[in-house]
Amino acid sequence: MEEDEFFGEETFQHYCAEFIKHSQKIGDGWEWRTSKDCSDGYMCKTQFQIKNGTAVSHRGTSAHVQTCLPMEEALEPPLDDFEVMQTTTATEVIKYEYHVLYSCSYQVPVLYFRASFLDGSPLALKDIWEGVHECYKTRLLHGPWDTITQQEHPILGQPFFVLHPCKTNEFMTPVLKNSQKINRNVNYITSWLSMVGPAVGLNLPLSYARAAFQDEGNVDRQGSSIEPKSLEEL
Amino acid sequence: MHYPIGLLFDLLASSSALPWNITVHFKSFPEKDLLHCPSKDVIEAHFMSCVKEADALKHKSQVINEMQKKDHKQLWMGLQNDRFDQFWAINRKLMEYPAEENGFRYIPFRIYQTTTERPFIQKLFRPVATDGQLHTLGDLLKEVCPSAVAPEDGEKKNQVMIHGIEPMLETPLQWLSEHLSYPDNFLHISIIPQPTD
Repeated sequence: MEEDEFFGEETFQHYCAEFIKHSQKIGDGWEWRTSKDCSDGYMCKTQFQIKNGTAVSHRGTSAHVQTCLPMEEALEPPLDDFEVMQTTTATEVIKYEYHVLYSCSYQVPVLYFRASFLDGSPLALKDIWEGVHECYKTRLLHGPWDTITQQEHPILGQPFFVLHPCKTNEFMTPVLKNSQKINRNVNYITSWLSMVGPAVGLNLPLSYARAAFQDEGNVDRQGSSIEPKSLEEL
Repeated sequence: MHYPIGLLFDLLASSSALPWNITVHFKSFPEKDLLHCPSKDVIEAHFMSCVKEADALKHKSQVINEMQKKDHKQLWMGLQNDRFDQFWAINRKLMEYPAEENGFRYIPFRIYQTTTERPFIQKLFRPVATDGQLHTLGDLLKEVCPSAVAPEDGEKKNQVMIHGIEPMLETPLQWLSEHLSYPDNFLHISIIPQPTD
């Protein structure tokens, strides 16, 4: 719509389409949803994680946070009995939903997320943080990157947590400038999501990065904008 | 919801006589539908985040970012304590625009209708056309919510309401943004069915 938009809605949808293509190749579960009035849409992914009985005891790894498990594995009791003693429930399965929307106010993508137990009861922000690695917690609490607030989802109208987008341009600009310098195509969504996702428990397999420059030849062929409905044809 | 009370009244109860009788619930908070409001700090954070978003649209965030933390605090305190001068000492800066322009970069607005699943419509919309003409409220509605505006010869189906009044559709949007915005610097516009009395 506007020519001076650095990252407009069409560009956003294009990068999402490319991202989802790769996700489908590796079975990473991302899909596109169009709003009921068909005027816009968003990318979303649901994943299930096991929450241990205790919040602490990382043991130097993030082994207690497992992603994309089939349901049977998710219900196995934990191996360490000592941890189980501390709470009434051995394991809980938590459903995480991540939505990537476009903010026309800031002209950047925005990450919305929420988590709930299988019975539908939602998790508070502090419970979600228990699934996040320490190094990201510090960054979120003290960093100039982003803050998390609870807001109304602009399309669904339900409460979601949001990583505030006002600093996104600040940290994305060096990434994009550098990629221009070394003449390598970068998928904005891939780069952005790989930076903000881990802070809220969302990790991207490395293959996304490789896919971004393999698609260099394809980007021009597809044209500058991809309508959401073409995603259904994939 | 974190909506201004006036907006809630326009949208949900504009035909009610004042005082507006409401029912307050103390149990069964609908977690999946409503935002929690645990403290004044959360309201302040939400208010400031709306003000920042409005300035991102109006001035690419330049004005709000140039302000100091104490100015942000003064804006919030002025609102919280109902101090008009204290609030406007800061807010007037958010209502300015460069001399060479005829208005803001984009207008911060949200259009609410109870008939849609989407909570509100918010899009990029410039206050001034390329030929220098000021866009009106009618222009905005035609562009982003055409179903709200009746056809030329048709009967008026809806009321377009801001702060409980129906501004003329010919009103310049820039003027509305400067004078009829809510304290969060957004124009919160309700589209409600025309009352049948």
